[in-house]
Amino acid sequence: MNAVFELLSTGHNLLLFTVGLPVIFAFAVWAAGKKDILRTAVTAVAGIVNLIFGCALYFAKAEIADTVKMTGFGLDIDILTDEFSALFIFLTAAAFSVIGIYCSAWLNSKKYAGLFMFYLFISLAMINGAFMCDSLGAMLFFWEGLLCTLFGMLLINNRENYKSAVKALTLSGIADLLMMLGIIITAYIGGSSNMSGLSGLEVKGAGIAGFACLMLGALGKSGCMPFHSWIPEAAGSAPAAFMAAFPGALEKLLGIYLGVRVMTQIYSVESGSAASIAVMTLGAVTLVCAVAMALIQKDMKKLLSYHAVSQVGYMVLGLGSALPVGIAGALFHMLNNVIYKSALFMIAGFMEKKLGTTDLRSFSGLFKKMPVTAVCFTVCGFSIAGVPGFNGFFSKELIFDAALESHCKLNYLFYALALVGAFMTAVSFLKMGRGAFSGKEQLPEKVKTADEKGLLLKLPIIVMSALCVVFGIFNSVAVDGWFACATGAEEKLGGWPHSALLVIISVCVLLLALADHIYGCKKTGKPINAADHIHYAPVLKQIYSAAEKGRFDPYNWINGIAQGFSFVCVKIEQGVSFVYDRAIPGIVKKTGDMLHRSDNGSLSRYLAGVLLGVAVAAVILLSKVL
Amino acid sequence: MNMLNLTVHAMLALPLVVLAANNLLAKQTARKIALYVCAAVAFFQIASSVTLFVMYTRYGITHYDFNIFDPGQVSADYFSVNRLDLFLMVCIGIVVFVSVMLALETIKDHKRSYVNLLMCLLLGMNGMVMATDLFSLYVFLEIVGITSFVMIAMFRSKVGLEGSFKYLVVSSLGIVLLLSGLALIFMQTGTLDFKAIGESLLDTQDSSRRALTYSAVVLMISGFAVKAGAVPFHSWLPDAHQSADTAVSVLLSGIVIKIAGIYGLIVVLDLFGSLEAVRIIYQVIGLVSTITGAVLAARQHHFKRIAAYSSVSQMGYIILALSSGTTLGVVGAAAHIFSHAIFKSTLFSNAAAIHEEVGVLDVTKLGGLEKKMPITAFSSVIAFLSTAGVPPFCGFWSKLLIVIALWKSGDTVWAGAALAASIFTAVYFLRLQRKVFFGKLADGMQDVREAKNSIGFIEAALTAVTVGAGLLFPFALQYLQTAGII
Repeated sequence: MNAVFELLSTGHNLLLFTVGLPVIFAFAVWAAGKKDILRTAVTAVAGIVNLIFGCALYFAKAEIADTVKMTGFGLDIDILTDEFSALFIFLTAAAFSVIGIYCSAWLNSKKYAGLFMFYLFISLAMINGAFMCDSLGAMLFFWEGLLCTLFGMLLINNRENYKSAVKALTLSGIADLLMMLGIIITAYIGGSSNMSGLSGLEVKGAGIAGFACLMLGALGKSGCMPFHSWIPEAAGSAPAAFMAAFPGALEKLLGIYLGVRVMTQIYSVESGSAASIAVMTLGAVTLVCAVAMALIQKDMKKLLSYHAVSQVGYMVLGLGSALPVGIAGALFHMLNNVIYKSALFMIAGFMEKKLGTTDLRSFSGLFKKMPVTAVCFTVCGFSIAGVPGFNGFFSKELIFDAALESHCKLNYLFYALALVGAFMTAVSFLKMGRGAFSGKEQLPEKVKTADEKGLLLKLPIIVMSALCVVFGIFNSVAVDGWFACATGAEEKLGGWPHSALLVIISVCVLLLALADHIYGCKKTGKPINAADHIHYAPVLKQIYSAAEKGRFDPYNWINGIAQGFSFVCVKIEQGVSFVYDRAIPGIVKKTGDMLHRSDNGSLSRYLAGVLLGVAVAAVILLSKVL
Repeated sequence: MNMLNLTVHAMLALPLVVLAANNLLAKQTARKIALYVCAAVAFFQIASSVTLFVMYTRYGITHYDFNIFDPGQVSADYFSVNRLDLFLMVCIGIVVFVSVMLALETIKDHKRSYVNLLMCLLLGMNGMVMATDLFSLYVFLEIVGITSFVMIAMFRSKVGLEGSFKYLVVSSLGIVLLLSGLALIFMQTGTLDFKAIGESLLDTQDSSRRALTYSAVVLMISGFAVKAGAVPFHSWLPDAHQSADTAVSVLLSGIVIKIAGIYGLIVVLDLFGSLEAVRIIYQVIGLVSTITGAVLAARQHHFKRIAAYSSVSQMGYIILALSSGTTLGVVGAAAHIFSHAIFKSTLFSNAAAIHEEVGVLDVTKLGGLEKKMPITAFSSVIAFLSTAGVPPFCGFWSKLLIVIALWKSGDTVWAGAALAASIFTAVYFLRLQRKVFFGKLADGMQDVREAKNSIGFIEAALTAVTVGAGLLFPFALQYLQTAGII
C-alpha cells in the first residue's frame, strides 16, 4: 500500500492514475463494446485497480498537496487530498467496483453497452477529479463533466424520448449554475478560490448568497429538492443500471461531500442559526414530500427513485443541524444509502430483466421463484426503514438525535417530520416488499417462467445486502473511525444509540406502520394497494392528484415562467434576429459579391491591387513617422 | 558538433543530390523510386530538425552558423540555423511529405519533372530560412518562386497556364518592389547582412537617409506581402492554387506562401521592429486579410478556391500575430504556421480524394459524401474544427497564443477583432462541409468509394497529428517555457 501511495504522491501521478486511468479504461470498455465477457472483465479489473488507489490514498493517512501546471499561462490545477477527500475517493472506488460489475452484467447483449460503460468510467474520472481539486474552479470543471456524462447516459437508448434527459440537464444545469455563482461570491468574499484558503467565512451579507448558492448547487447534485424532479422521470426510461449508479450512489457521494465541506469548512454555521434552520427545513421538506410521493407509486423503479430523493432529505436534515452528531449521521446515512439504495435499484433492474417490467401490479408472490432476491430485498428494506440492528437504523437515530438537539425552537417539529418520513418509508417498503414477494404467485402476462440465474447480477446485490448487516453491527467503524475527521466529535457517537426513549419511539413508529399496512391490506385485499387509504383520503387525494399532474414540479414552474418570459423575448428576438438573419448576412454577402467582382481575373486589376497595398502601407508609415 | 554540421549541410545538399540522381538514373527506374526517395528526404528533414531542436535546447545553443563555399574562413558564414528556422523546417518537411503522398496518386505524367521541381523548391525554402543576408534570401526566394510557376503550369492545362501566368506577373511586381527596397538599403550600407542593417539605419538623424530607409521598409513589406498573399496583394493566389494539381496546391497553400511571404515579414520585423509603423502596417494588413479572405471564401463554389481564400484569411491571422512584435507573437505565428500547414494539408488531401474518386470539385454539385467517404469526411470535419479554433485541436492553441500575444502587448482591440474573425472561419467551412459531406447524396454519386492508398493514409495521419498535437500542446508550451523561449 505504501508503495502505491508513494507512486501517487505527486500531483501529476495522482491525476494520471485516478483521472487518466479511468479515461483509458473508458476507451477500453468502449472498444470491448458488445463482447460481454471482455467488457465485464475490463470493468472488474478497472474497479479493482481504482479501489487499490483509493485504499492507498485513504489508509496512508497522509495529505498530498501539489500544483499541476497545465499550460504556461496559469491554468494550473491545485491538488489537495486530505483525509476527508481521500475517504470519499476510497468510498467511491469501493461502491464503483461493485456497481460497475452489475452495470456491465446488466448491459449484456444490449446494443449500447460499450457506450454506456464508457460514460460510466468517464463519470468516475470526473468524480475522482472533483474530490481531488483544491481550487473550486477546477472542481467545477469536473463537476460539469459529470453533467455531460449524465446527459449522455440519459440520451443513450432514448434518442426519441429525450424529454427526461433535457429535464435532467436543465435542473442539474441550474443547480450547477447556482454553484458557479456561489463559487464566485465565496471566492470574492473569502479572497481565495482554493478550498484550503477558505475557512470559517461568516454567513452574512454577501455570504448568505454565497452559502445558499453553494449549498443548493451541492445538494441539488445529490437530488435534494427543488432539483429532484428529473430523477423519478428518468426512472421511467433510463436503464436500471443508470439508476443504481447515478442517483443511487455516485451523485449522493459527490453532493454530500461538497455539502459537508461548505457547512463545516468553508463557512462557519452555528447550530440554531438562520442558515442551519434553512438547511434543516430544506431537508425536512424534501424528506416528507418525496416519501409522500413514493407512498403512492406502483412501479418499483419510480417508488425507489422518490425514496432516493427522500433519503437525501435525511442527510440534509442531519447536515443542517451543524452538530457533530448530525454531520456524522448525514455522512453515515449517505454511506448506508449508497449501499442499500444501489442494492434496491439493482434488485429492481434484476427483476426488470427477468420479468420485463417493474410494475408491481403485474406480479406478486415471487418468493419461491427468487428467494435470494427476496431475502436481499428484505435486508435492504429493513435497512432503509430503519429496523433496529440494520445500518439504516443507526444513521437515522443519529439524525433524529441531531434534529432534537439542534438549538432552535423548531427542533420538535423537525423530529416529528423525520418520524413521519420514517413512518411512510416503512409503509411504502412493506407495500412494495409484500406486494412483490408474498401472497399468491403471479407473473406478468407475457412471461412464462421466472428464475434468478445470473451470478454477476446477483453477486453485487448480495455483497451490498451483506454490507447493510455488516455496517449495522460495526457501525462505529464508520461513525467514529472514518467520519471523525469531518465531524470533529469528541465523544463516541457509534454503537447502540444512547437514548433508549428515542429507540422506543422509532420502534413504535415502525409498529404503527405495520399496523397501518395490515389495515390497508384488510381494506383493499391486496398488499400492493395497502397505501390506498392514505392516497385516497380526503384532502390528500386532491393534493396527490395535483402532484401527479406535475403542479408541484419546479421544472414545470420554470417552464411556465419561461413561457411568459419567452413571449416577451419573442418580440425582442424578432428584432434581433432580423439583424442576424437578414442585415448582417446581407451586408456580408453584398461585401462578398463586391469583392468577388473585383477579383474578376483581370490582371490589370490584380496589379492595381498590389499598388494600392503599397500606397496604403506608405500612408500608414508616413502618418506614424511624420 | 560534427553531427550538427553534417545535418545542416545535408538539408541543403540532399535535395541537390536527389535532383541529380533523378536525372542521371534510367527513366524507368526514376519513375519507380523517385517519389519514395523524396518522401524519405522529407522524412529525414522532419526527423533531423526535431532532433536538432531538442539538442539546441538541451545544450543551450541559440544558433549555428556555417557556410558551404569556403570552410575554414570563420568570418564568411552565409547561413545560420536557429530554433525558429528548425521549427519552420519541420513544417516544410511535413508539407513536402504530404505533397509526395498525394502525388503518388494524382500525378501520372511528368513524375520526373515533379520530383526535380519539388527538390528545387525544398532547397529554396530551406535556403530561405537559413540565409543570413537579404540578398541570399532574395536568391532563394526566386528559386522558390520560379519553381512554383513551373509546377503550376507543367501539366499544360489552359487554366494552369493562366494561373501560373498571373502568379508570374503579380509576383514579378512583388519582386521588383522587394529588390528596389534592397537597393535602397544597399545604397546606404553597402551590405545586406542582417547584422549590419536594422537599428543602425534607423538611428541616423539625416532625414533623407531616413526617408530612404522608410521607403525600403514599405517596399520590402509589400514585396513579401505579395508572396504571402495578404489582402490586397492576394488576387493571384486563388487562381494559382485552384488551377494547379492538388499535389502542387498543397505545397503552395501549405508552406510556400508562408516561407516566401511570412518568413520574409518575420525578417523585416526582426530588422525594423523598433519602428512602430511596421507593427501598425502588419495589424492593418493582417486584420483586413483575415476578414476579406473569409468573406470571399464564403462566396466561392470551388473546393480548392475556398481553401485558397481560407489561406488568405489564415495568413492574416499569422501577420496579426507578428504585429504584436513580441517573442510570444512570433511563437504564436510559428504555431499557427504549423497548425495551418496541418489542416490545410488535410483539406487539400480531401480535395485530392474527392477529385480522384468523384472527379468534380464544384461544391454545388457535391453532397452527402459522408456515407461514401467516411475517412475523408471525418478528417475534413476535424480539420475544420481545428481551423475554427475549437479545443482541443491544435488550431485552438495557436489561435489562443495569438490572442494572448496581442492581449499582452496591449493591443486588446486587435485581440478582440482576431477572436471575432474566427466566426467568419466557421461560416465558410460550415458551408463547405454541409455542401460536400452532409445532406442528401448528390446525383450520380452512388458508386463513389473511399480514397485509396496513400491519400487515405495521409488523411488519417494528418488527422491524428491535428488531434495529437492539440492534446500535447500544453506540454509543448511547458517545454517552450522551460527552454526559456516564452
